[in-house]
Amino acid sequence: MALKERPKPFLLPEYCKGCGRCLDACAKDCITLSDQINPLTGLVPVELDLTNCNACGLCMDACPEPYGLRPAHEGEIQDFELEDPAKLFGVKPSDAPVPVDIPNEILPLPRTEPLVIKGTYASALGALLAGCRHVYGYPITPSTEGAELMAKFLPKLDGTFIQAVSEVATVNMMYGTAGAGLPTMTFTSSPGFSLMLEGVSYMIGAELPGVFVDIMRGGPGLGNIAPEQSDIKLACHGLGHGNTQALVLAPSTPQEMLDLTILAFELSFKYRNPVVILGDGYLGQMTGKVQLPDSMIKPGIPKWAVYGDAMHRRNLITSIFLTEADLEAHNVHLNAKYAAMQVEARSESYLCDDAEVVLIACNTPARTAKGAVQELRQQGIKAGLFRPITLWPFPVEDLKEAIRGAERMVVVEASAGQLEDEVRLALSKAGVRVFPEFESVRRMGGILPQQSEIMAQVLGKKEVRA
Amino acid sequence: MSKASVFYDKFERHSHGEGLKGHATHYCPGCGHGLAHKYLADAIDELGIQDRTVAISPVGCSVFLYYYFDVGNSQAAHGRASVVALGHKFANPESVVISYQGDGDLASIGLAETIATAQLGAPITVIFINNAIYGMTGGQMAPTTLMGQTSSTSPAGRNQYNGQPMKMAEIIAGLDGPVYVERVALYDAKQRIKAKKAIQKGLKLQMEGRGYSFIEVLAECPTHLKMSPEETEKWVKESMEPVYPLGVKKDLTVDPWFKLNPPSFQGEKLLSLAGATYEHPVRACEGFPTHLAPHDISLKLAGSGGDGAQTAAMLIARAAINEGFDATHIPSYGPESRGGTSYADVHVAEDEVLNPGSPDPQVLIAFNAPSLAKFGPTVRKGGYVIYDSSVVTDPPVLDPSIQVFPVPFTGIATDLGKAVVKNIVALGALQAATNIFPKDTFLTAIRVALKDKCALIPLNEEAFAWGIKSVEALSN
Repeated sequence: MALKERPKPFLLPEYCKGCGRCLDACAKDCITLSDQINPLTGLVPVELDLTNCNACGLCMDACPEPYGLRPAHEGEIQDFELEDPAKLFGVKPSDAPVPVDIPNEILPLPRTEPLVIKGTYASALGALLAGCRHVYGYPITPSTEGAELMAKFLPKLDGTFIQAVSEVATVNMMYGTAGAGLPTMTFTSSPGFSLMLEGVSYMIGAELPGVFVDIMRGGPGLGNIAPEQSDIKLACHGLGHGNTQALVLAPSTPQEMLDLTILAFELSFKYRNPVVILGDGYLGQMTGKVQLPDSMIKPGIPKWAVYGDAMHRRNLITSIFLTEADLEAHNVHLNAKYAAMQVEARSESYLCDDAEVVLIACNTPARTAKGAVQELRQQGIKAGLFRPITLWPFPVEDLKEAIRGAERMVVVEASAGQLEDEVRLALSKAGVRVFPEFESVRRMGGILPQQSEIMAQVLGKKEVRA
Repeated sequence: MSKASVFYDKFERHSHGEGLKGHATHYCPGCGHGLAHKYLADAIDELGIQDRTVAISPVGCSVFLYYYFDVGNSQAAHGRASVVALGHKFANPESVVISYQGDGDLASIGLAETIATAQLGAPITVIFINNAIYGMTGGQMAPTTLMGQTSSTSPAGRNQYNGQPMKMAEIIAGLDGPVYVERVALYDAKQRIKAKKAIQKGLKLQMEGRGYSFIEVLAECPTHLKMSPEETEKWVKESMEPVYPLGVKKDLTVDPWFKLNPPSFQGEKLLSLAGATYEHPVRACEGFPTHLAPHDISLKLAGSGGDGAQTAAMLIARAAINEGFDATHIPSYGPESRGGTSYADVHVAEDEVLNPGSPDPQVLIAFNAPSLAKFGPTVRKGGYVIYDSSVVTDPPVLDPSIQVFPVPFTGIATDLGKAVVKNIVALGALQAATNIFPKDTFLTAIRVALKDKCALIPLNEEAFAWGIKSVEALSN
């Protein structure tokens, strides 16, 4: 029986780094280290003398370079000469197909009676209706009910809920699923959100969608589990390292927890960027009336995804741009995206048209402020409420309209002025130089501002706090 | 042995493929990564899984894995490759996901992710390159650096104060999750053949849905060990191998188990899980209970965990919403899991609840003496206080404008045989005392809440009726 002829090794010297791993591998001593520096590489490639070569192939297995020692093509050894690598290997980097978008499907739903559910449940249902079937999370009060609901429902929908080892693992599982092009989300609360920020920065850098529901609680540090609004700064200006921004939505009712979660997924995929939903502890725990929408989403797969199939083989999810010019170009691209997101600014103005006193508040304090507006109106004071629904981008055009005739502006918040800072920054960036003096009603530590405190501020009374 | 087609024909991502970089790796001469790459490429090629493969590039020298492999590529943060891999695997269970990590990535910063992923056991393949040094950052001590080995952060040699090297293959093999763990090396032809086989086996186990596999590769880093490639091979053999013995650490025979159905997008299934109903509940109210407040009624229910204050609060909210009103319920608990304080703020509004907290309620339902003492004085003038007279024997004096209803919630419930229905007794008392809603509004809400536990409905109806009777008896 004739032995099948095996190819002998072939080496283009410029692809050899001269490590010499092949020397030991050759029993016939065909390979030697040279002292000739290759002018193209500045390295010293090995030299081959194949007189005694029996084509055992072990040298090729020992070569760490993909285009180093390799089987000779027919005729190569006889006519040993350098060839243009582009001609030799071709210029086509991959024969993988060019991917196309597989669009979402919108599936109609029958009309149902309103549900009576918690804010976190409403948000979880919103995610399911938006087509999310992959949820990762780590339990943390007061957001855990969302994860618990997902852990209960997702197996019944053949979806995935994984309780991760930490928030760090959570956000990176999201990175993987988002990289595969599918909707994914998590529920967390302030300390947990802090831990996720590394991954959020990577997701923004790699342009991945994902929804983070942060039910804000008292801080800093372990703080407590009562409601605060002290992650506004973090969400609007501190999403990890680098040039990061994300749309930040601030619901104020369980209904909005559902509606804005659905919107968050839409925006997240539209811009290929994470979206943050900031709730407060009250909102997460609060039960209220929630009307379900008349349709739900079956997600497709975007063309950029790394789904793990033939169609998406050429894709890459990464946040590395090693060359300075490439990274600058990437940041210019991100900035253009952040600029485009400005059209998503949303707000609610309540009785602001003729308001002399405009209250500014979001989340649960906005509900309280609305109550105060009604009470003030009953007392003949022209009060109104401006409620930003997006905190980033801040709806500054709407705010300008809302405070057009106002003599006073009162920011009501459960933080040490983080919302006020957003208002100030937005007005400053918008070039608004003339506006009423800032007044504030602030509580911290897990205590929300009360209607009576707002009344006292507006009516100019001092109130002794309980 | 041919150049595996799994490598790109040209490394366009390596400095835009310019010059020699289009066909050369970024690795130093003699580096073990190139070999591991080649064997991985061969395995992907031979198993025919190029289209299904997702390779996770880590942080470390192999951060640019994606320069070379013509597969789906995803680049992870430092240490997080294994959980990024899980995110891909669960998104598409048909994909073959490889988490390729170095020693700093896998055994230091990503240790929690590494261990948790291994123990989870979902079928991914982890290739762990252990070269006993940090390469990318320039020769610092790795968790796998040997005792006595010098590095730029252990200049006098690793000593006891730096701790002992991490033997990852043994640690991973000690977990229940993985099915296959092997440590291989690259220093001679025999070891290289074993390394190739191990990588292929790890991928095959994943393809077959049998579980998680972990292949530790003892690799050479001549640059940072400051040796020639040949000396480094010798060092791996003579110095590393005694600390990191080669061989199979775990190899279970497991039937294929990882099978996930495609997610369901059946609307009715989702609505049913959400507890949605299609029929309009029967309404019994003729209008908003303006005798209590013009637009918004504030209630507080307070007791201990287990009293059922939250369930009762939920039923009030549900009853209100069934009637077309708006309602909110905010629970608050003490830190105890059982038996701590349990308070509920409830609002019922004609149109929209504006202020969901109840710092000064119109109606207080108190299940115990501390709750009554704490919140009784906060009740508005002209309001209502209903409390459990079975447990409160010495009620505080409240504003004379407040109507007070002592009702033995616990006593009645115990007589009915189930102490847990005391909250329903309280709801009956609330109905009779305030007429916030008609009886049927409450009963409908109770029946809907118990629709999956129909056997309990008569008992609850009885408890509700007793609550009403008790208040009526007080007025007579």
